[in-house]
Amino acid sequence: MSILANRDTRAVIIGGVAGLNAAKRMAQFDFLINRPLTVQAFVYPPEEGQQKEIYRGGELNNVTVYSSLNKAVEENPEINTALIYIGASRAYQSAKEALDSKGIKLVTMITEGVPEKDAKRLRKYALEKGKIFNGPSSIGIMSAGECRLGVIGGEYKNLKLCNLYRPGSFGVITKSGGLSNEAMWLCAQNGDGITSAVAIGGDSYPGTDFVTYLNMFENDPDTKAVVIVGEVGGTLEEEAAEWLGKEIRRIKVIASIGGTCQDVLPQGMKFGHAGAKEGKKGLGSARSKISALRAAGAVVPETFGGLSKAIKEVYQELLKSGVIKPEAELDEKLLPTLPPSVQEVMKQGEVIVEPLIRTTISDDRGEEPRYVGYAASELCEKGYGIEDVIALLWNKKLPSREESEIIKRIIMISADHGPAVSGAFGSIIAACAGIDLPQAVSAGMTMIGPRFGGAVTNAGKYFKYGVKEYPNDIPGFLNWMKQNVGPVPGIGHRVKSLKNPDKRVKYLVEYVKGKTTLHTPCLDYALEVEKITTSKKDNLILNVDGTIGCILVDLDFSEYSLNGFFVLARTIGMIGHWIDQNNQNARLIRLYDYLINYAVKEEREVPEKR
Amino acid sequence: MAKILEGPAMKLFNKWGIPVPNYVVIMDPDRLAQLGEANKWLRESKLVVKAHEAIGGRFKLGLVKLGLNLDGAVQAAKEMIGREIGTSVVRQVIVAEMLDHDEEYYLSIAGNRDGTELLLSNKGGVDIEDNWDTVKHLFIPIDETPSIERITEAALEAGFIGEVAERVAKIASRLILCFDNEDAQSIEINPLVIRKSDMRFAALDAVMNVDWDARFRHADWDFKPVSEIGRPFTEAEQQIMDIDARIKGSVKLVEVPGGNIALLTAGGGASVFYSDAVVARGGSIANYAEYSGDPPDWAVEALTVTICKLPNIKHIIVGGAIANFTDVKATFNGIINGFRQSKSKGYLENVKIWVRRGGPNENLGLAAMKKLQEEGFDIHVYDRSMPMTDIVDLALNS
Repeated sequence: MSILANRDTRAVIIGGVAGLNAAKRMAQFDFLINRPLTVQAFVYPPEEGQQKEIYRGGELNNVTVYSSLNKAVEENPEINTALIYIGASRAYQSAKEALDSKGIKLVTMITEGVPEKDAKRLRKYALEKGKIFNGPSSIGIMSAGECRLGVIGGEYKNLKLCNLYRPGSFGVITKSGGLSNEAMWLCAQNGDGITSAVAIGGDSYPGTDFVTYLNMFENDPDTKAVVIVGEVGGTLEEEAAEWLGKEIRRIKVIASIGGTCQDVLPQGMKFGHAGAKEGKKGLGSARSKISALRAAGAVVPETFGGLSKAIKEVYQELLKSGVIKPEAELDEKLLPTLPPSVQEVMKQGEVIVEPLIRTTISDDRGEEPRYVGYAASELCEKGYGIEDVIALLWNKKLPSREESEIIKRIIMISADHGPAVSGAFGSIIAACAGIDLPQAVSAGMTMIGPRFGGAVTNAGKYFKYGVKEYPNDIPGFLNWMKQNVGPVPGIGHRVKSLKNPDKRVKYLVEYVKGKTTLHTPCLDYALEVEKITTSKKDNLILNVDGTIGCILVDLDFSEYSLNGFFVLARTIGMIGHWIDQNNQNARLIRLYDYLINYAVKEEREVPEKR
Repeated sequence: MAKILEGPAMKLFNKWGIPVPNYVVIMDPDRLAQLGEANKWLRESKLVVKAHEAIGGRFKLGLVKLGLNLDGAVQAAKEMIGREIGTSVVRQVIVAEMLDHDEEYYLSIAGNRDGTELLLSNKGGVDIEDNWDTVKHLFIPIDETPSIERITEAALEAGFIGEVAERVAKIASRLILCFDNEDAQSIEINPLVIRKSDMRFAALDAVMNVDWDARFRHADWDFKPVSEIGRPFTEAEQQIMDIDARIKGSVKLVEVPGGNIALLTAGGGASVFYSDAVVARGGSIANYAEYSGDPPDWAVEALTVTICKLPNIKHIIVGGAIANFTDVKATFNGIINGFRQSKSKGYLENVKIWVRRGGPNENLGLAAMKKLQEEGFDIHVYDRSMPMTDIVDLALNS
């Protein structure tokens, strides 16, 4: 047996994330004792309609969030208990609604910092309705083997250590939340555990009191003794003493009262709990409470540490008198173990999970990203530049100073080529249509392909092939290309020719060959090819794509990465065009009629549909 | 409980129609002279000047000066402002009109579990304690407002007569309104004075406590509560309060000069029992401290560093119950870092540390704490099987 909460308890939690955490802890207890899920619904308007994932052991449950308590109880009529986890400013209204709800008999509130007036009014309201309002500032209610309301009892391991999977003989009533857990542990360690434990909260005016629960325990035949943990302030402990002394009680009472140190401390000193303050003329002092309880027959040890011995003695006495019959201890190994998460199991090396993806370049798991093992900030500190990061992430090695200078120049030279080319024009049209930056730039990016900018990869790829397969046989290479590929990528230009060379190509070739010591077999090969192709036709020159592709191959970049240089470089230009158009507040554009040849059918009548 | 100073209390009285004397709160004595040019009452009435600070025993300290004219008041303000009393400095003074009066009454109101209690006496002033038996109590249940007739009746029973009883009842009814609407916890007006020639009343002195938790519904509360510990907060206490205001969970500190056992305890309930255990065993605490509600580790670290600096400490009690949801490993990490930092700065010499704790991740937390032995700390670590406050016995017997 138990008080307040049992196997029939079904709860709604009113509040956000703290309530969700409590629900998860409660489901762990549900799993331990193999009972249905206690939490049936959440009420939290900002998250109306969401489903919260709650694991009862390995079983995944979805619990609905409602916008109002009425809706929650309408759809879950078995709800009889409400847990208030909402902030102090809304706690009063929420608790009042819960007390108004017909099926709800118990409302317990964890919210701290609730105004005293609100707590007083809720207490009165609950009394009038014949319901229980527990809290504010209550960690919750635990009935061993039956029900857990709130995070009382702590982590799963502790639930077992405190024997909370099966009822014992001790009731627990505390003001403090932490001490409710401690008291449950003491009852398990020195006795046979608890029936129920209630934390009433340490506020000045709790919604309930020791006497209410003492009466309930007195009427619960399984409870043989009750441990009370009180503290200075208020008169609840004195009232408990009065209750105990008034008539012969079935249950034994053991108590510990905090705050005796106030005799020697500065007056008015504030303790952890709002209610822990001494009244005028010693009223509510810890000493007066202790004397009253002792006079009424309660066992009150000198310090909290003395509770262990006191509980043990009472337990032995009850065993001896036959009030408590010793029961065989359950083998803890029979109790279910909480299923671990995949992460936990993996940490222990007990499971193999096939990874979904693999990365070889970048690691974000530490304090800062690492590129191929190097911390980004350290690269900055040691004078590396963006070209080195490109080489790291695209080719997994740090280039030499000479190499990175070449990479930098390739990017700089390719960054933009005026507004008329497909990429920039695409971005500009999008910008003029009011399209946002990422979409407008990707409109331009979409243009990169076989006819615009996309030849770098293939140029590098085939010249590399030539170097390898036709090292001293350029006609043979050209022949192979003609038969297997078609025009040689990287050769030929619409406007430029031998007489009108591309300055970019000229500069790059001169820089790489003249100012660096880079070994350039691929570039040399391409220049040899150019000699042959230009002899056939003036504009079959090595174009900028071809030049870049060859240099990158000579820099040992893989084929896959080559187009990336154009994409990256041109992104800079396309972003620039988008910004430029927006800065000018450019208007929507369209083609003029005279730029279009309407090579269409004459106007004609639509035939009837057959 | 939040005590507020007279200035803000007077302002709230004004708001609810409770008669107060004319008053001003000033920081600059020259401003008082200027106010005197603008306000007739400052020039023509007798004045009282009081330090507007949370300092007990102001009268004895010379921080209350009575019966002054404006020049005298400016002079008194000059003398008071800037004076250092212990760790606090007088920054403001309140200058009020000293009403010539015929009688002094007592009027107070305070909350209890079932409602509020109104206290009335026609023998107010400094002798109220001696006349406590004559005080009339009127209980007001929650959500009820007594009729003016009922209050008048109570005033008559308290010994007020005729028109005075009616007027006192009127003031009392406004006091009830003020109490109720301002989320007050207690208001004591002593004395409420009367000048019979023109039937003028004024609350000459008042102590008011408001429920600081209710501040979310009081947009016009522009004041801060004063120290509740009977003295101004120390710098260390203020620092911990500032951290407390910023974090999830809480950290608290009160220094107790002269003690040699420092407390670094967890939980609003358990921390009190640790203080009790020290006192019960004849020890003296150097502080009261508490962390709870799973505070971030850096906040616990800051609390630890502060506690390690307490002078002349011989023991530190790192105690706590078996936590429900405060992560022992995480909060202990904060404490461990605090200990290391303090040790590197030369603190903790010849200080013994006693640890007892349980809760989420207790094994990891306790093991990490125990490893401090290898770093030369004199630390003794116990788990849940050690009765909670028994580490205090061990410390005191060591």
